[in-house]
Amino acid sequence: MAADSTLLLSLVEEFVSGLQDSKAKDAAKGVKDGQFTVLQLVEALGLSLTSSQAPTRARGVQLLSEVLKECYGELTEREVEVLIAFYENRLKDHYVITPPVLQGLKALTKCTTLPPGSAVSMLRSLFQDVHVQSLMLTERACVYSMLINLMETREAELKGLGADFVFGFVQSMDGERDPRNLLLAFRIAKNIIDRGYDLGKFTEELFEVTSCYFPIDFTPPPNDPHGITKDELIQELRGVLTGTPKFAEFLLPLIIEKLDSDVPSAKLDSLHTLTACVSQYEHKDLAEFLEGLWTSLRREVCLDCQHHLCEPDLKLVWPSAKLLQAACCASNRASHIVAAAVMPSLIEQYNSRTQCSHRRTLLEVVQRFVQSVRTSQPSVSDESVLSAFRDALCSIVFSALSESNSSLQITATSVLISLAQQTGLLLNSDIELAVDHLTRLLLTEEDDRVSAAVVECAGALAELHPAAFITKLIPRLKKEMFSEPMAQDHTEPSQQHSHHAMRQRCLSALAAVSKQASVVQESTPVLLEVLSSAHTGGVSFSVDEVVLACRSLQRIAEQVEDTEETGQCFHSVIIPRLLSLALQAALQGDSSPGVGSPLVEAAVLSAMVPVISSSCSRLQPTLAAQTASRAVSLFLDGDVSFLPDNSFPSHIQLLKKQQKDSWSQSQMVCLLMGCVCSLPRSVEVPQIDQLLSELEEMSCSCSHQLSYTSAAKCFAGLVNKSPQGDSLDSLIQRTMKRVCSELDSASSSVRIQAFTLMIWVAKALLLRYHPLFTTLTDKLFSLLDDTDLGPMAADGFSLLMSDFTDVLNRSCHADVRIMYRQRFFSENSAKLVEGFNAATQDKKPNYLKALSNIVNKLPKQVQVTELPALLSLLLEALTCPDEGVQLSTLSCLEPVLINPPAALVQQLEALVNRLIPLICSPAMNVRIASLRCIHALSHFPVHEVLPFRARVLRALAKPLDDKKRLVRSEAVLARGEWFLLGSPGGR
Amino acid sequence: MSGGARLENANPVIFQRSGERLLTASEEDEDVHDPIDDREIFDLIRSINDPEHPLSLEELNVVEQVRVKVDDAGSTVGVEFTPTIPHCSMATLIGLSIKVKLLRSLPDRFKIDVHISPGTHASEEAVNKQLADKERVAAALENSSLLEVVNQCLSSRTM
Amino acid sequence: MKESLSLVQRFSAHPDSRCWFVSWSPNGTLLASCGGDKAVRIWGREGDSWVCKTVLQDGHQRTVRKVAWSPCGNYLASASFDATTCIWKKKNDDFESLTVLEGHENEVKCVAWAPSGNLLATCSRDKSVWVWEVDEEDEYECVTVVNSHTQDVKHVVWHPNQELLASASYDNNICVYKEEDDDWECRATLQGHTSTVWSLCFDATGQRLASCSDDRTVKIWKDYSNESGQVELPWKCVCTLSGYHGRTVYDIAWCRLTGALVTACGDDAVRVFKEDETASPDEPVFSLAAQVTKAHSQDVNCVAWNPKEAGLLASCSDDGEIAIWRFQEEH
Repeated sequence: MAADSTLLLSLVEEFVSGLQDSKAKDAAKGVKDGQFTVLQLVEALGLSLTSSQAPTRARGVQLLSEVLKECYGELTEREVEVLIAFYENRLKDHYVITPPVLQGLKALTKCTTLPPGSAVSMLRSLFQDVHVQSLMLTERACVYSMLINLMETREAELKGLGADFVFGFVQSMDGERDPRNLLLAFRIAKNIIDRGYDLGKFTEELFEVTSCYFPIDFTPPPNDPHGITKDELIQELRGVLTGTPKFAEFLLPLIIEKLDSDVPSAKLDSLHTLTACVSQYEHKDLAEFLEGLWTSLRREVCLDCQHHLCEPDLKLVWPSAKLLQAACCASNRASHIVAAAVMPSLIEQYNSRTQCSHRRTLLEVVQRFVQSVRTSQPSVSDESVLSAFRDALCSIVFSALSESNSSLQITATSVLISLAQQTGLLLNSDIELAVDHLTRLLLTEEDDRVSAAVVECAGALAELHPAAFITKLIPRLKKEMFSEPMAQDHTEPSQQHSHHAMRQRCLSALAAVSKQASVVQESTPVLLEVLSSAHTGGVSFSVDEVVLACRSLQRIAEQVEDTEETGQCFHSVIIPRLLSLALQAALQGDSSPGVGSPLVEAAVLSAMVPVISSSCSRLQPTLAAQTASRAVSLFLDGDVSFLPDNSFPSHIQLLKKQQKDSWSQSQMVCLLMGCVCSLPRSVEVPQIDQLLSELEEMSCSCSHQLSYTSAAKCFAGLVNKSPQGDSLDSLIQRTMKRVCSELDSASSSVRIQAFTLMIWVAKALLLRYHPLFTTLTDKLFSLLDDTDLGPMAADGFSLLMSDFTDVLNRSCHADVRIMYRQRFFSENSAKLVEGFNAATQDKKPNYLKALSNIVNKLPKQVQVTELPALLSLLLEALTCPDEGVQLSTLSCLEPVLINPPAALVQQLEALVNRLIPLICSPAMNVRIASLRCIHALSHFPVHEVLPFRARVLRALAKPLDDKKRLVRSEAVLARGEWFLLGSPGGR
Repeated sequence: MSGGARLENANPVIFQRSGERLLTASEEDEDVHDPIDDREIFDLIRSINDPEHPLSLEELNVVEQVRVKVDDAGSTVGVEFTPTIPHCSMATLIGLSIKVKLLRSLPDRFKIDVHISPGTHASEEAVNKQLADKERVAAALENSSLLEVVNQCLSSRTM
Repeated sequence: MKESLSLVQRFSAHPDSRCWFVSWSPNGTLLASCGGDKAVRIWGREGDSWVCKTVLQDGHQRTVRKVAWSPCGNYLASASFDATTCIWKKKNDDFESLTVLEGHENEVKCVAWAPSGNLLATCSRDKSVWVWEVDEEDEYECVTVVNSHTQDVKHVVWHPNQELLASASYDNNICVYKEEDDDWECRATLQGHTSTVWSLCFDATGQRLASCSDDRTVKIWKDYSNESGQVELPWKCVCTLSGYHGRTVYDIAWCRLTGALVTACGDDAVRVFKEDETASPDEPVFSLAAQVTKAHSQDVNCVAWNPKEAGLLASCSDDGEIAIWRFQEEH
């Protein structure tokens, strides 16, 4: 022991006076090895510690502290107690001694043998005797480390200090500047908050002392020696500030203030912090600040977005514009503000840009703004927000319309629509200029997308500003349409083509602009003149062009506002004129066959039907009744008195069998159908019995398809509306008897005609749920086994389930019960299955086709519920060699596959087995449809389809090289999805 | 490629998308053989998602129809792509996505070459060499995290 | 004299996947193949056709890139992208997994047995070549890791009768190694190819080395070290075959029985070259003797001459198929 004490003294001497730092290690080793104890060391230090020289005392304490740093784990509780008392005492000593004292205390905070109460006493001394921020960097770090150590092990004791602990900490860190120390300090603050230390009355102080660093502005020194990033500091501080709702009342005003900062990163930090605290805080914490936050955010968003709108390469222009437009929609006032702020710069941008893609983008932005201004306008509006920019906007639009870039032109048309829809914004002169531009484009622009946009634009503008269209556009279009493309024989095919295309555009434009009665008065005569010129040959129009003229008339009939005036126009002008022209053509066709007016063409007549039926369906009852009686007397009695250009021969008998089986008159029965089958049900059709009997006769005897089919449809259309009762029943029974006798006679030459009448009557009865319908169904089913008519019967099921535009639909006032398809399906599907099972092999395809025709037309919901029962049959249908059956079955499977019922999933194997061979079908449509189905299979539950992945991928490799592009692209889509199955990042 | 990292090019220029290919009468004709053409190849790759932005390669002008060359009869396809910035670290990944998309979408007979547009990337040669090495490509696609990113690029996004 | 390459049989070996490599057993009766399906298959002749004798599955988690037979024919080594090399031991007619060699950081690209059967070499994308020693107890120990390449190492091959090893790399170079004081050292770096060198093979004597590359050429290198003692670079390129290959040449094989050289190419073709015996050994001349331009429907990855039956050739492809060919010289 004596020898050791000599050694000890010499170590102390060499360290303190000799300034040999390495002796500290030796001393520590001595303690560890048990050569002497720490208290013996303190004893040996006696002289140094009592020296009058502060540096000597400091050196003495330093030796002790360094030894403790090594040996704190080996101290007894008693030793610790003594040492703490010693150190606490030393804290009051000269300031040069403080650093080693703190080192020693820090070492002691790590002792597991820290006696109860010592943590508190240590901290009290610390807070009382040390002004932390006067210390050097490392000593300050030392203090923070002590706090952290003690918080880890002595939480309960520290909490016993109450709010004093928080206050002591706040004082200690107040003014801290070093980022390394800040990280430590933030950690302590976070602990205080998270672990529920009592903040007492120091909540605001704790907030102040930390929030003064917000937002963090720190750039690490070059080479980043400490590895501390700005982001770390931001995250730590954010953790503190957003850690407790108690800070809400201080933090939210701070955020509102900082949102206005000019430093983008500060703004961003504020927003992120806001996000973080919003997710922490409850509504009550936020409530009182919402308004302020909203104001700041809104201003922030607007300014920022406006800035983006002007960026040189239009980065972020879309998102910014969307935000601003949303703001526009908020209120009328908002739209004023935003428009005033944004429009000038957009206009200027547009005018200074030369690249079409930029201009187009800007124009689209403009359009959205104009639109959002519109939606925010109150209905009774004073001056439009956009008035100030009218001139500039118009000139932009007109200049864009004059560009050769089609996207730009298209965008300009939609801006024009939006501008025109701003009440009172555009002047008449603007509209006239616009009409000039539109006219020019209609006449010259070959790009389909542009002309479609122009037509749409003309339609929209004409609805609001009809005058200019009546005075300028219609006369001009008429003039151009009626110009001959020079002598036909000598013109180049391309010129002919472009002349035809121009007429096509004009015809659809005439329809588009005809929404107001005043325009219709001007446009329909032009269209009718196309028909009559075509008939007389005054100006030659192709069949295609005549059909388009009819379509335009039809569109007008459908869209025109329903007024007395327009009803009269159709009733007394258009319908008689159409009938007259058709009749003239028919009579001429009979007298001089071969010369051929286009108006005898089936395509033209079929296009006239919906013009008549749409207009008749909308006629007022008196006009409707008059139209019905005129039509009936024309067709039954040859009464031509109401027709214009009346130079017709007497004794016209349109429904009677014609000489030499001529059909040019008989086919006009389709126009009769247009007149009498679309009238409101309240309108009584005169001479109905005779009419029906002549129609029946024609449909069962005529050999001309359009004639007998139209007669059958007309018959069916009337039957559908005939009042319930014995006379209807006997009519049906009589007709069925005749039909059946033809059908049952294998040698009959009119079996097809009889079948056609039957299927249309069946359709008429099915729609109204007539009880006699079943008689017809039975006959239809029996025909599936018919050698000749079997396939036609199967297709008949498609007719039963489909809607038609010219007859037997709701807009023709037909009696259509809801869910007639489902009803038919549920009453007959079992019969079909039975029939299939009983049929001979060569007839089975008829049943499959019939079934797929029905299922195909069912609403998806019904398909999904009904499919399980029929699945095996449908799967069977996929193997049927008939391509029509395959296609129909595939098209009814596909929608069901997208959201497959369990029954289907169970049949996956069979589905895959049957679909894969169809990928190689000779029919392109079957290949496409089967690929779509296989694509849909990829959305089945993954575990179900995964076993098929390799097989399907292999099968899908082949159609990637299909000769048809459409097939290839389906294969690509399907294969892409199947690849993603079971693959990471896929499905 | 660490998640959540900052975007390299946070504010890219956005280009207009070309419309859908217009259907022609001959394409609907069963008997006509439609050759695989440049536009068809372009249509395969233009909708690939950029790994970083919610945009397609077409919208970022990374792929353009003029930089696609196909020889249907000779069974070769060449695609050049243009990274948005010359130091784009995603270049290899983008190239890989294009290559994988073409591998999955074209008949086996095709030889597919994917390159960076000359002079548009700092590591052009290294990236080209990697993309041309089918062994490395095969190994990369067996790396599930890489495959995941590629698959995401190839997934159809719902807009 | 007319040469021809005729198809003997074609069969699907690794369906829905690539076939990367084929290797004949030393006695020429069995053919091992490996591929993207993570499996190794052993094929044998039954009558006129080749049938799958056994499938070695579950040895690897990823693509099996190459397989190699031990010289005695009783062991098989398989190198995989899963960073491991599996050693399989023949037991009756089957193979069982004996051990797994781990150590490479990533994909093992190739494995090869030394002619003595006591050494095994592997190489990897981790740029290293490892040499393993095998003892009587079938224990494998890594004796050397050489890092002479700057990029991934695609192929390793042993000299036919010396303990000399050559490797080919993505860094465009070939390295030749020899043992020196228990350590393997790179003794020569063969530079000349302008892109990845995919494969290498020695001729029957070991005097010459043929290499094939992504630069679409084949190079013949000759060893000059024996003649003039220690020279600066013992291997010199004496011949370059260019203009024949339309895309990357993935593999090359030198028949030890006939001296014919065959290549596997990314243009789907298999080509056989014959040496003009009258040319100077320092300036050898090779001419195209036979080729099948559509040998496979996709890239040809590997070609291998049967070691016992002259002219019998196996090739395999990305299409998953193996084709057996007969190269005949008709007089």
